[in-house]
Amino acid sequence: MTGSLKSRLLLLTVAGMTLVLIVFALAMNAAVDQSLTGGFDAALATTARTLAAEVEQKDGKVKASFDEEDVDLSAFKRAKRPEYFQLWSEDGTVLARSPSLGSADLPRAAASPDAPGFEALALPDGRPGRAATLVFVPKVEDEDHRGPSPAPVQRATLVVARETADIDAKRTGFRWLLAGAAAGTILLTVLVAALVVRQGLRPLDRLAAEIAAVREERLDTAIPVGGMPREMVPIVQRLNDLLCRLEEAFRRERAFTADAAHELRTPLAGIRATLEVTLSRVRKPEEYQNALRESLEIVDHMQAIASDLLTLARLEGGQVPLRPEPVPLRQEIERLWRPLARTAEARAVRFEVRLPADLAAAADRELVALVVSNLLANAAEYADSGGRIEVSGCADDGKAALVFSNTGCRLSAEDVRHVFERFWRGDAARAAGVHCGLGLALVQRAVAILGGEVSAEVTPDGVFTVRLTLPPAAPPPPCESKHP
Amino acid sequence: MRVLVVEDYLPLQRAVAKSLREAGFGVDVTGDGEEGLWYAVANDYDVIVLDLMLLNLDGLTVLKRLRAQGRASHVLITTAKDTVADRVRGLDCGADDYLVKPFALEELMARVRALARRAYCKKNPCLKVGDLRVETATQQVWRGREAIALTPREYALLEYLAMRAGETVSRTDIWEHVYEFTSEADSNVVDVYIAYLRRKLERPRKPPLIHTLRGRGYRLGAPA
Repeated sequence: MTGSLKSRLLLLTVAGMTLVLIVFALAMNAAVDQSLTGGFDAALATTARTLAAEVEQKDGKVKASFDEEDVDLSAFKRAKRPEYFQLWSEDGTVLARSPSLGSADLPRAAASPDAPGFEALALPDGRPGRAATLVFVPKVEDEDHRGPSPAPVQRATLVVARETADIDAKRTGFRWLLAGAAAGTILLTVLVAALVVRQGLRPLDRLAAEIAAVREERLDTAIPVGGMPREMVPIVQRLNDLLCRLEEAFRRERAFTADAAHELRTPLAGIRATLEVTLSRVRKPEEYQNALRESLEIVDHMQAIASDLLTLARLEGGQVPLRPEPVPLRQEIERLWRPLARTAEARAVRFEVRLPADLAAAADRELVALVVSNLLANAAEYADSGGRIEVSGCADDGKAALVFSNTGCRLSAEDVRHVFERFWRGDAARAAGVHCGLGLALVQRAVAILGGEVSAEVTPDGVFTVRLTLPPAAPPPPCESKHP
Repeated sequence: MRVLVVEDYLPLQRAVAKSLREAGFGVDVTGDGEEGLWYAVANDYDVIVLDLMLLNLDGLTVLKRLRAQGRASHVLITTAKDTVADRVRGLDCGADDYLVKPFALEELMARVRALARRAYCKKNPCLKVGDLRVETATQQVWRGREAIALTPREYALLEYLAMRAGETVSRTDIWEHVYEFTSEADSNVVDVYIAYLRRKLERPRKPPLIHTLRGRGYRLGAPA
C-alpha cells in the first residue's frame, strides 16, 4: 500500500472508531427499544388485568360489567386517539367491546393462559399500536361459598390495544440523538486522530529534515539518534551506516579523480609549455622537430595514464567479464617478456624464468596478462643496469604461486607499503619521469578479482619482490622450490 | 634577472627554462628538492619557480627552510594541486605567488616579471631614467622618441641597471644577477657590454646615462 502514512493511520483510526460506534449504537438502540416496549407492554398488561378483574362468571356464563366506579373507562370512550379492548368468551363469542371500537374487531391472538401475549398491530383507525392478549379465568361468583360449582370453569380472552405514538416518538428521538452523538464523535475522532497522528509522526518529519540537510560533500555527518523514538533508532542507525559507506565510496572516488587530474596536469603543462615556447619565435626546422618529438613522447605518456585509468575504473566498477580458462603461466610470461627484452638487454639486465612448464592458473587470460605484463614492465623499468630479474613459481597449497623479483630497488621498507596505492611513486620512479604509478594498483585489483593475493617486499640489498597466488588449474604440479 | 627553476618533470623543466632564457633571464634548473634548496641558499635569485612534488625534498619543505634561513627571493609555486587549501598552504609557507598546472607559458612569464619587479620595489612595468624608457613587458627600449634595438644580453644588463637606477651596482652584482655572463670565461665581459650599451644609448648634447664609479661599479642615471 502506498500513499501517505498520515492519511493511512487517520483512515484506519476513523474506520475503526466508526465500526465501534455503529456496534455501540445498535446495542444502545436495541436496549432502549426493549426498555420502551417493555414499559409500554407492562402498562398495557396492567390495564388488561384491571379490566379482567371486572369480568365474572356464574353458572358457566361469563359476564362483563365494567363499573365506571371501579375502572376508568374514559380512555376507551374519548373520540380523539382512543384506546381499545375486546372480550371474548372461550367459544369465541364477543362479550364486550370498548365504545371506541364501534362494531370493529380487534385481532384475537392465541395466547397462553400463564402470561399475556403482545403484538404490534394497526389500530382500527389506522394508527400504529400494540395489543396485549390476556387469556384468563374470570372469577366465579359464588355467593354462599359452599358446595362446588356445578358448572365448568370458563376462560375468557381479553385484548387491549393502545397506540404506540409516544414510544415511537421517544424511540425516533433517541435514534436521532444517537446518530447525532455518533456523528459528533466521529468528527471529533477525525480531529483528535489527525492531531495525534501528526504529533506521533513528528519524529519522521524531523528525520526528513535531518536527511534533507545532509550535503553530498559531507555525507559522513551522522544523523543524531538522541531524541528519536526507540522504533526509529535502528532506521537512523542503518541510515548512518549507509551514509558512512557512501561517504567512503565518494571519498575514494574524489581522491581518484583528484589524483587522476593531478597526474594528467603535469604532462599537460609540459606539452603546453613545450609548444608555446617553440611557437614564441621563428626557429630552425630541427627545433620544431625536437619540440614535436618531445610533445609526442608526452602524449604517449598521457595516453598510457588514460588507458591505465580506464582499465582501473573498469576493474573497480566490476565491468570486466571473466572467462576463466587454464592459462599456462610459463608461456604467458615468456610471451609478455619479449617486447621488454630488447631494452633490458641494452641495459645488461639478466632475465630468468624458473617455472614448471606445466604450471597453470585457472583464470581469465586477459587479466593474467595484465598482471604479468605490469609486473614485468615494473621490474624492467626499475632493475639497475647489469642487474637481474627473476620470475619463479610453483604450486603452493593448491594455488599457483608466482614470485617476481628485480635488483636495484631504491625503495625503503616504509615506501613498499605504498606501492599498491594509485599514483604513488617512489622518488626513483619520479626521477625516471615516465611511470605514472598505476601499474601496481592495477595488479592488485586484477589479482583480487582473480581470487588471488599479492604482496610486495624489499630486502636491504635492494631486491624488490612481488609475490602473488592465483587459483590453480588442476592438477597442480608439486612444488620444487619455495621462494627461491 | 636571475631565476631558479625547480621542477622534476623534465619536459616542463626544459620548456620553462628555455622560455625564461629567451626572455633574457639568467636561469638555473634542477629537478631535485635538496639540490634546489642548496642552489637557492647559495645564490641570490630574484625569482624561484618551485614545483611542489620533487625528488628527495618536497617543495613546501624547500620553501620553509629557505625562509627559515632568511632568504627573501620571490617564490612562485607551480603545481597540479589546485584546491583552495593547497594554495593557502603554499602562500602561508612563504610563497609570493601560486600558479596551477597546466598554465599558459605567457602567464608564467608575466608573473615572473612581476615578481622580479617587486624584488626591486618597482610597480611600474615601464622603467624611466631621464628620457630613457625600458618597457619590461615587451623588452623595448626608447631614448626620447627614438627606439633603440638591443641584443638579449644588452637588454638584460640594461634592465638590471634600470631596476636599480640611481644606485651603485657592483660588477659582482651584475655577475650574479645577469647570469648570462657567467658563461663567459672572461670577467672583463661586463665592461665590454657596458661599452656596447653606452655606444647605443648615449647621445651627444644629452647628459650621460651610465656613470662609471671607479673601483665601485656603475650607476644608471643621477644618484638617488
